[in-house]
Amino acid sequence: MQRATSCAVVTILVLAALAAAQTTRQEMHFKVGRRASVSIINQYGAISVKPGTGKVVAITATLYSGKVEVDHSKSRRRVAVFSHLLEGADTETGRVDYEVLVPADASVTLHSTTGPLHVEKLNGDIMLEGTTASVDVRDVSSGHIHVRTLNGPVTLTNVSDGHVDITSVGGDVALNSVNGSVVHVNSSSGKIHYDGDFGDAGDYALTSHSGDIEAIAPAYASIEVVARSVQGTVEKDFPLEPEHTSFVPRAGSAFAGTMGEAASSVKLLSFSGKIHLKKR
Amino acid sequence: MTCEEFRRVLPELGSGHRIEQDAHLKSCGACSDLLEDLNAISREARLLQGSEDPSPWVWNSIEVALRHEGLIRQPQLQHLQTPVPMQGWRLRWLAPLVATVVIVFGVLIYQRGTGQPQLAERQPPPAGVVTANLQPKSAEVMGGEDLQLLKTVSERTPAMRATYEADLRSVNAYIRDAEQSVNSNPNDEVAQQYLSSAYEQKAMVYEMALDRSLP
Repeated sequence: MQRATSCAVVTILVLAALAAAQTTRQEMHFKVGRRASVSIINQYGAISVKPGTGKVVAITATLYSGKVEVDHSKSRRRVAVFSHLLEGADTETGRVDYEVLVPADASVTLHSTTGPLHVEKLNGDIMLEGTTASVDVRDVSSGHIHVRTLNGPVTLTNVSDGHVDITSVGGDVALNSVNGSVVHVNSSSGKIHYDGDFGDAGDYALTSHSGDIEAIAPAYASIEVVARSVQGTVEKDFPLEPEHTSFVPRAGSAFAGTMGEAASSVKLLSFSGKIHLKKR
Repeated sequence: MTCEEFRRVLPELGSGHRIEQDAHLKSCGACSDLLEDLNAISREARLLQGSEDPSPWVWNSIEVALRHEGLIRQPQLQHLQTPVPMQGWRLRWLAPLVATVVIVFGVLIYQRGTGQPQLAERQPPPAGVVTANLQPKSAEVMGGEDLQLLKTVSERTPAMRATYEADLRSVNAYIRDAEQSVNSNPNDEVAQQYLSSAYEQKAMVYEMALDRSLP
């Protein structure tokens, strides 16, 4: 029995040593100017971007095999880093995890099939794209945020003065304390969840095919709202001031009206999903 | 040899020149520059032919839109049926073009509403009546372009095929429902919004599948 245990321990240690031997870390530092553009194109693996100090882009790449390389190109205001898959690489051996520090005013473009993708505390433009990658953006302001996924879930938290455009086929989309001049979400089967006050003078459009839409707002929200589901049901917890619409509001499948001074426009549209405008 | 005589024979000029032509080129800078420019254009044109010829995917996407509208019923372009290997980074610029084509066709054609003969042939249900679940089973069958796209995905990353297939089915269902909604209520802005969103989704799926950066 003791001998078997010893063999197992030795085997595990050998495997761990082999795995560690295959894992390499690569560090890159680039000096950049104001409002630099940083793009990371990664086939498989995580990318995390946070603000650093000074006008420097610092990238730490962790490679899990010799079947992938990291290439880069740079100009005064632009840094581009690519994971370069070699022959025979797959989702495991082609994986590279990136940890990136950028100036807070940098614009960031991230691609990864599997992700996850994480960005926080930036105020430049953010473009994120993934297939099944989950996307998490938090504490950002004043920039454009464009997110595209096939099935990856998308979460935005504490986004102010943003221009938000999210398209996902099947990923759930959650927006918490998100406001801006434009907040558009387009989903096919994913659920859309919004929890916030809809800001001031914004254009909010949450659209889905079969996914449910839930919007939670405080009683002081100032909105002009249109909600409509062709096959699903619509529900609201707020009394709305009725207004003229281009369609005939039908109880249970559509409603329209205003709250407060109707500062922001809110459209909640689903073809067959349920829509619920909830009071916080 | 005068400049006029030289330019007259210029179109027939091959790689080799006659003695009098060579003599004129040595003495005339203008004709020498002209010949050099023409040769440069000729060389570049040969290179462009291979790399800038529009990808079959462009034609495929146009065909997708046209077939969805019933404007064509049979494949119009023979070369569409030939699977073509991905062209790589140099064709990345085509992805937004494809997306634009798909969206523009979808939106513009449906904004014409029942004015299209093909659409008029259909029997629109009464306003407000939902017919999405009454589609024949065959409507869920994927088109040739979708299958071709899946084949490409399979060749590059077999593990992603199921994901793309499920998403294409989902998006196709969205387009189908949105089309019916627009047919039922051609002047309904919300119905048009559904259709626009549905085409945007499909364009995104195609873009992602074509983009070499995302297997």
